[in-house]
Amino acid sequence: MNVALTRRDILKNVAFGAGASFFTPLLGQLAAHAAGQAPRQRVVFVVQSNGMSPRHLMPSGVERPKSGKMSNDRLEEVTLKDRELHAALEPLTPFKDRLALVQGLSGRIALSDHSANLGALGCYPANKGALAQTIDVALGEANPGIIPHVGLGILERPEQTLNYQISAAGPGKVAPIQCSPELAFKSLFGSVTGGASRQAFDRRTNLLDFMAEDVKRAQAAVAGEEKQKLDSYLEAFEALRDRQAKIDAIQNDLRKNAPKLDDKFKKPTECNRLEAQFEIAAAALITGLTNVVTLSSGGGGQQYIAFPELGIPVGGHHYGHGGGVPGKTYEDCFVTVRQFHCKMIAKLAQTLATVKEGDGTLLDNTLIVYLSDSGDGHHPQLHEWPVVLLGNLGGKLKTAGRYLQFPAYGSKNHRTMANFYCTLLHAVGKPRDKFGVNDPGLKDLDQTGVVAELLA
Amino acid sequence: MFKPFLTAHCVRCHGPEKQSGDFRVDDLTGDPAKDADRLLAIREQIRAGLMPPGRETRPDPADVRAIIAWTTVRTGGLAGRQPGQGNLIPHELLFGKPAPTAAATPGRLWRLSPDGYLGFLSDLGKNKALPGIVQPFTLEPERGIKDFAGLYTIDEPSTEILLRNAELIVEGQTARQNGVREFVVLMDPASPPTRAQLEAAVAQQFKMALGRTPGADDVTRFLGLYERCLKVSDSPGAVKTMLQAVLLRTDAMFRSELGKGTDAGGRRLLAPDELAAALSLALGDRREAGIMLAAQKGELATREQAAVHVRRLLDDPKFDKTRILKFFREYFDYANALTVFKDKPKTFVHEPRQLVADTDRLVLHIVAADKDVFRQLLTTEVSFVNYAVGKNKQTNQDEGKPGVVLNPNNNKGQQGIEETYGLDRWPAEQPAKLPDNSRLGILMQPSWLVAYSTNFDNDPVRRGRWVRDRLLGGSVPELPIGVAAQVPNDPHRTFRERLTVTRDARCWKCHSKMDELGLPFEQFDHFGRFRTTETVLDLEATEKNVDKKGKSLGPVTREAVLNTAGTIADSGDAKLDGPVKDPRAMIRKLADSERCRQVFVRHAFRFYLGRNETLADAKTLQDADRAYVESGGSFKALLVSLLTSDAFLYRSVPVASTTTTPGGSR
Repeated sequence: MNVALTRRDILKNVAFGAGASFFTPLLGQLAAHAAGQAPRQRVVFVVQSNGMSPRHLMPSGVERPKSGKMSNDRLEEVTLKDRELHAALEPLTPFKDRLALVQGLSGRIALSDHSANLGALGCYPANKGALAQTIDVALGEANPGIIPHVGLGILERPEQTLNYQISAAGPGKVAPIQCSPELAFKSLFGSVTGGASRQAFDRRTNLLDFMAEDVKRAQAAVAGEEKQKLDSYLEAFEALRDRQAKIDAIQNDLRKNAPKLDDKFKKPTECNRLEAQFEIAAAALITGLTNVVTLSSGGGGQQYIAFPELGIPVGGHHYGHGGGVPGKTYEDCFVTVRQFHCKMIAKLAQTLATVKEGDGTLLDNTLIVYLSDSGDGHHPQLHEWPVVLLGNLGGKLKTAGRYLQFPAYGSKNHRTMANFYCTLLHAVGKPRDKFGVNDPGLKDLDQTGVVAELLA
Repeated sequence: MFKPFLTAHCVRCHGPEKQSGDFRVDDLTGDPAKDADRLLAIREQIRAGLMPPGRETRPDPADVRAIIAWTTVRTGGLAGRQPGQGNLIPHELLFGKPAPTAAATPGRLWRLSPDGYLGFLSDLGKNKALPGIVQPFTLEPERGIKDFAGLYTIDEPSTEILLRNAELIVEGQTARQNGVREFVVLMDPASPPTRAQLEAAVAQQFKMALGRTPGADDVTRFLGLYERCLKVSDSPGAVKTMLQAVLLRTDAMFRSELGKGTDAGGRRLLAPDELAAALSLALGDRREAGIMLAAQKGELATREQAAVHVRRLLDDPKFDKTRILKFFREYFDYANALTVFKDKPKTFVHEPRQLVADTDRLVLHIVAADKDVFRQLLTTEVSFVNYAVGKNKQTNQDEGKPGVVLNPNNNKGQQGIEETYGLDRWPAEQPAKLPDNSRLGILMQPSWLVAYSTNFDNDPVRRGRWVRDRLLGGSVPELPIGVAAQVPNDPHRTFRERLTVTRDARCWKCHSKMDELGLPFEQFDHFGRFRTTETVLDLEATEKNVDKKGKSLGPVTREAVLNTAGTIADSGDAKLDGPVKDPRAMIRKLADSERCRQVFVRHAFRFYLGRNETLADAKTLQDADRAYVESGGSFKALLVSLLTSDAFLYRSVPVASTTTTPGGSR
């Protein structure tokens, strides 16, 4: 990733994209289906900063106390059929029969001001760094594509290219969210673009080969345990080298499906950047580059995005504190920004639904998890952590048009985000009954296990 | 002797008929290599007194000692690999009688520590880390000494971080602004570099990343990488890849301690460059220029030359010896006060950060005086109290000032941090003498007491375990799986009373090694404040505390009698065993003990050698202890002894192949 994308690169890419049909079923996937293998499951996390009001999840006809504080001690469920989604979620209406709107799961262990950071996807304290693997990386590992986990996102300024506050590969190991669409494009599709990006891809292959050789030489000088110690370093280079080969093997698919480097890439406005990242995510899923993507919009610390194109030229902190903009109250701002994100999610779902897979489409084997790294608000309480689920992961989850209000915090049937993440691990065939760190505020509650009502 | 012992005490449950716990002892092969795991398990069970179980006939104590010694020798003194297992080698076998010869350390690769990686970045001239660079490495989260050479390697997620970091570092190095001159000139795609320029660039990157010049073979290989990249890329790109590769080398990410120096009867001295790095990183986080230069000039080839440099580094105020404070932090573990969450007290300020800073300062103060260091650490009557250093705006001089200052406008009668130390105002003279008969040394610093407390209470069990492990050199087995350890939550009883649950025979086997050593610290509350009574709930008064309608008006407390007595038992030194009336009496006794001092030396060995001691290290330990005693308790003398010991300087496993340059590190 050295020189800026040249005009020549872009023209070339446009040429590639133009000739290709975007929605081609992939031969590999057809073959897998023919061989009777279960289709790959895909999971997309969409993590948006600044909290998600529980009210945005409430469809028409559903009420909650004025105080906002729930006290139900049993699951309350209504169907979304014949109900209208809240204006904030309106763009998801075409997918209503694939939606589950989940309320009442808590995540108090990650409580912090403005963002739970890695604790949002990790279920652990917000300000202690990477205490453990986050759920997105865990799912990627359970169900690896060529690249087990891809992180894409945006931050306020285009030159902030990496966000390390959303995902973690393990204790002490943050995983990157690539916040420059241009760099993300190069690193995922650079091998088929020719020009500087292809050069960088080939140099990386050479570097990985060289390093594997270099570690082998070092190994030749040692014996026993020291040799084994270097095995792990060697295997890392070999695995990354193997990734290069696999990417080289799907060059045709990559060419056909790589996003077009159009205006979205050339004019790095906030909306364009986010849309570009969603397109890259779609292409990465379709080509099998990865099965798990995390898409973040701001997030971590006080990282908010202003969306001038949506008429909101101020960051989320402003309307988080009740400030409006001309013509819009703070709540209007929240709704407008959420609508935009829902539009992106709907478009992604739409794209995946056009790719055939087995007897259905790629979307049938996908789950999109939409939440905020700051839980239920700008200043969250995390007694509940609203989550929008779209898709059922190949029939593993029960998400067909449900609004679910889980038992309130402190009641005996209460469930947490950790239980939800365990549910996802069960759904991808890597069951786990404990995730992250227990909430000490729930010491009388058994915090292990799944959210049974979500599993098919 | 071993067979009859097993037959008498073990075989009935761990033999042909029954294999309790899936363990049998009747079919040991006699080959120590094959039996090692089982012998270590037998030793541990017998040593901890867990086997034979209580209902069986007790073995004769003399037999027990003999079996422990025999199994230890038989397993070649194998110690556990984990830092917490160092004490598995019985103290008597290390210090019981003069040891004849000092052992070397096996050749090894020691992955950089997280701080070592930051030091590596500094050596590359990146004092202020570039944006986007992140830490690739971690250490074990357990308490105690953490950075053992045998524990760490580099896995795939770390490698991905290293690759991205290397890319970012080289981007910075090749940028026109503030780049490295030798690299920047190679960034013009129109004028491809000459061979001489490339060689200079490789040499420069080696110098910065590894502190040495590359061998001819290295240069050829790195230029080979450049050539291969040039086939697929422009020349600036190829140069960058070549420069990244140097940063990822095994010998950049691992400290190479293979022993490539002169052969000395089956073992080898560390080569000068290995030794220079080893000594620099023993004391600090980055390579020290003077010692690297000495290595290059061939002036680091003997024990005496090494000693000269160790003394020089210890006396050089400009060399940042971060690893001295780090040792004491890991030995005492008081910095864990930062990780114990407590509700904000209403009547006083609890600021663990300041408490830890005060103890850091006290440790450095005692280490700087360098007299009777171990005893001072345990028994000093002075302390830093809410102390920070800032510039006096008038004199422009650094001077002491309160660390945490209460906001007078926002303070509702809260006491400052001084109160936690038992003082009613901030002392201008620091370190300050604390109130008589209140607290002594690090183990009665509020930071340590908080580090060994829980959210709501003291933690006498872990405090006692600390004393057992780190002063008496004993060990306590881990909590058995399936035991839910819980002190009953009876707010009307003192913590000592509540802790009597551990007196149950099943628990007491292990708890007898801990509780009585931790209970004297009940002298303090769980914020580390000195007390003479313990506040408990008054059940009767609470019941009566109701309004006319019988509605409760809230809990009422009473002051219960405080008992600070404890017992030192089974310490391994009969002179130490016996009752103690309070924590000060206990600590004074322990501070005077030869055994405790030697256990401290053992911990220093583990920290600075990056491994547990084995039986073969007896002489190294005895020499270090002697150096400490003969110097009047100088920690520096202890360090010089350890860092110039055979264990530090020599490697026992010869390099497998001398024809291949190991990792090309010559």
